[in-house]
Amino acid sequence: MKKRAILGLVVIAVAIAVIITSTAQSSTYGTIADAKKTSSELHIIGHLDKKKTLYYDAKKDANYFSFYLKDTTGVECKVVYSGTEPEDFERSEKVVLVGKMEGENFHASSILLKCPSKYKQDKINIATAKPNSASI
Amino acid sequence: MDKAFKGEHLFPGHLGQLFIVLSFGGALLSAVSYYFATVNKDNTDNSWLRLGRWAFYLNSISLVGVASCLFYVIYNHYFEYHYAWAYTSKDLPVYYIVSGFWNGQEGGFLLWTFWQAVLGNILIWKAKSWEKPVMTIVSFVQVWLASMMLGIEIFGTRIGSSPFLLLRDAIQAPIFSNPDYLSFIKDGQGMNPLLQNYWMVIHPPTLFLGLASVIVPFSYAIAGLWQKRYKEWITPAIPYALFSAMILGTGVIMGSLWAYESLNFGGFWAWDPVENASIFPWLIMVAGLHVLIVYKNSGHSYFTATFLILLSFIMVLYQSFLARSGVLGETSVHSFTDEGMFWQLVSFILVFLALSVYLMITRRKELPISKKDEETYSREFWMFVGSIFLGLSCFHLVLVTSIPVWNNIFKTKVAPPTDLVGHYNIIQASFAMVITILTGFSQFLRYKKTETTKFFITTMVYMLVAALITIPVIYFSGLYKLHFVFLLVMFGSVYSILANGKVLADALKGKFKLAGSAVAHIGFGLMLVGALISAGTRKLVSVNEAGVGIADFNKSPAEQRIAGDAHENIMIYRNEPIKMGGYTVTYLGDSTSEPDHYYKVDYKRYNETGKIADEFVLKPHVQVSSQMGFVSNPDTKHFLSHDLYTHITAIPTIKQAPTQDSQTAAAHGDENDDKNYDPPIAHEVAIGDTIRFREGFMILKSLKKETAIQNIPLTDSDVAIGAQVQIFSNGKTYSSEPVYMVHGKSVFDFARTVDDVGLKLRLSKIIPDKSKVEVTVYQQPENKKPWIVMRALDFPYINFLWSGTLIMIIGFLLSIFRRNKELKTV
Repeated sequence: MKKRAILGLVVIAVAIAVIITSTAQSSTYGTIADAKKTSSELHIIGHLDKKKTLYYDAKKDANYFSFYLKDTTGVECKVVYSGTEPEDFERSEKVVLVGKMEGENFHASSILLKCPSKYKQDKINIATAKPNSASI
Repeated sequence: MDKAFKGEHLFPGHLGQLFIVLSFGGALLSAVSYYFATVNKDNTDNSWLRLGRWAFYLNSISLVGVASCLFYVIYNHYFEYHYAWAYTSKDLPVYYIVSGFWNGQEGGFLLWTFWQAVLGNILIWKAKSWEKPVMTIVSFVQVWLASMMLGIEIFGTRIGSSPFLLLRDAIQAPIFSNPDYLSFIKDGQGMNPLLQNYWMVIHPPTLFLGLASVIVPFSYAIAGLWQKRYKEWITPAIPYALFSAMILGTGVIMGSLWAYESLNFGGFWAWDPVENASIFPWLIMVAGLHVLIVYKNSGHSYFTATFLILLSFIMVLYQSFLARSGVLGETSVHSFTDEGMFWQLVSFILVFLALSVYLMITRRKELPISKKDEETYSREFWMFVGSIFLGLSCFHLVLVTSIPVWNNIFKTKVAPPTDLVGHYNIIQASFAMVITILTGFSQFLRYKKTETTKFFITTMVYMLVAALITIPVIYFSGLYKLHFVFLLVMFGSVYSILANGKVLADALKGKFKLAGSAVAHIGFGLMLVGALISAGTRKLVSVNEAGVGIADFNKSPAEQRIAGDAHENIMIYRNEPIKMGGYTVTYLGDSTSEPDHYYKVDYKRYNETGKIADEFVLKPHVQVSSQMGFVSNPDTKHFLSHDLYTHITAIPTIKQAPTQDSQTAAAHGDENDDKNYDPPIAHEVAIGDTIRFREGFMILKSLKKETAIQNIPLTDSDVAIGAQVQIFSNGKTYSSEPVYMVHGKSVFDFARTVDDVGLKLRLSKIIPDKSKVEVTVYQQPENKKPWIVMRALDFPYINFLWSGTLIMIIGFLLSIFRRNKELKTV
């Protein structure tokens, strides 16, 4: 057998191994209902429920942040994250969470935000000079 | 023009747009002329060639014109242009105005096409007999790049996106019905604070030069196939491939330096899809480069060499598509959103893919493919194997990074692995291990045939020495806690450094032309050593064991082994030292230079005798702006053997851009401000009396008649009295002077705050009959005291990563010189 042929087989084997590992480790985009059914981690897309409280109190625990997420089906769930409130969290229009359910709460191991894209968000800020009313 | 708008500067935009069209036309004319110059076999007729050259010069000059116009627009803050408005603002320093230039997609294309124009001019000057076919391809790519900036509607579809788009055309808003709208737009959106970093001034031009340079070996490969000069194109393409690999690698590492210096994920590489995409072309180019050298030295692997060089350019186009088309969606934080150029970007890939595939297939029977098998103990065989593994590593990156693309094509809903970083780290490390070991032992092999006994002895001896070095390194650095594969990478890297060190030592004795590859391999080995130790054993300094929080589940298993169960963020009050990770850390205070808020964090380390061994102050900062929100920027103290990295993760809410300083704000008796304090306590005191408060005491020193108070004119009938108070707290002394005033028929008092002690004082009453005054003391409650939440990490031996990169660049440079010399002697 030629070396090239052996090498070719090795390459195919490695490629298949890579595909299998990547597929096996890949996750799915699910909903809160899906998360309740499984004990493994998954991705959930949703948005922050701005009406409910975001909780972060550095003085009590600097590594505890919780909020309410509404997933794409409209189901809501409390999310707990061990860390600080991500930058610009309240401005996000879409949140992608990775994590799993622990009891009633969804424990997020990572939070990815999609902020409104520059091109859609473009709002003109009209600068009007405020009269400096120095009233005493 | 149906309407006249006041104050617009339309000329630079019109001129710039004209230059864009000229650059497009020039490139098109150049491509066509060079094509006919190539096809035309009548060597006496140079008219097509001359036309092609002049058209290419026109393209180059127009691009300089486009760049000048765009710079003029940005530099002069002409916010009627969307580009200037969206990416810059008036307070931006000039060097960041330069980086504002390539902030948007259009600027990126401009940079890319500009570098290609520069390279094209070098080719016109140097390529000689290759000029015609090679420049046909370069010009053709220039046509595509120029089309990306056209911004012209043809048959209802917009082709490209122009950097000279006017704000009023880019955005629909009622304000634009006002002919005087510009007087309302005082400032631009400003640059994302994360991009305001010196690396962002030089990283994009470098990376784009790297991306642009891939066109040269690609064009040579296409030209070789097209003109059936199959063997000849390899030699001139090698120096360009080396250059390309060098610049691409440098650009990528600069990007990771930027991420390390100014982003706050705490590292230099996050496996973000856009980051991954930037190394696709590099991996393939490095693989292709090695196979080119294999072919040149042994006549083997022609097909693979050509295939990889063609693929490297396809990867350039593919990474550009990933970053710009919006396809990455929720998987990336860096990517642009779709600007309606999706299909234009896709067709850019498809055209060049089709051209490559077509030429490979039609020429397949004529390719100089060697029929005989190479020797097992030959350098060419193992270099080839190494290149294949580089290709496989890229295959894995492409496969996983492209998950959103597969979802798009197959309408599936697959998500990336949940432990994405762990997934990439382990699989990529496996490839790195194979590659490093190959870069090691292939040094002991010769081209064609090697004597096996000697080879095995040297290989084994070096492996043994490498193992002996690796074991203590792994033990003392703490790497042994990681996955086994990382230890093997460490071994492979040490082995590669040793083996290539031997080659370098021999080279210095005489065979100097071999130095280049040895130096580059040593640099690569050092990079991996640095990356492994610093990322693998980075230590959490801000260990927070307190807190009632939940179990620490947001770490990958590998990270958990390092940090244990500790939480990463720690809150500290101002002036209250706290011990963490061997340091005594104090938050000293903050300073503001709008829109940046700097937090001074003092680190002290004591030696055994209790003396300060080490002290430094880090100033991580946070930018708060209405456009971008809250953005935190880390600060890092660099030592030779490690780096201490600190960033702010939470702060009390900052009032945005206070228009007055705190003293005058308080002077208005702002009731809201009082809410920040405990209920006030009034003290009747005479001069010399002492008032106690929770954290110290104060003495009323004297009462003084004031003659002027801020901007209020005082008349003879007005009375203003200041109480000079000295405050002693925590071993420090402060002074303050609240003021009481009778102005006209009203009574006012001006409170004064002493922020460091958390006090506000009012001179609230004058009691002449008792010769006393009433001082009202407001004290901040404990929990209103200023605080920050920060995270601090220690990166050991990260300097190996940066110095390895530098050494690798030097290695590439040496190789370029060597291959250039060969070119001249041939």
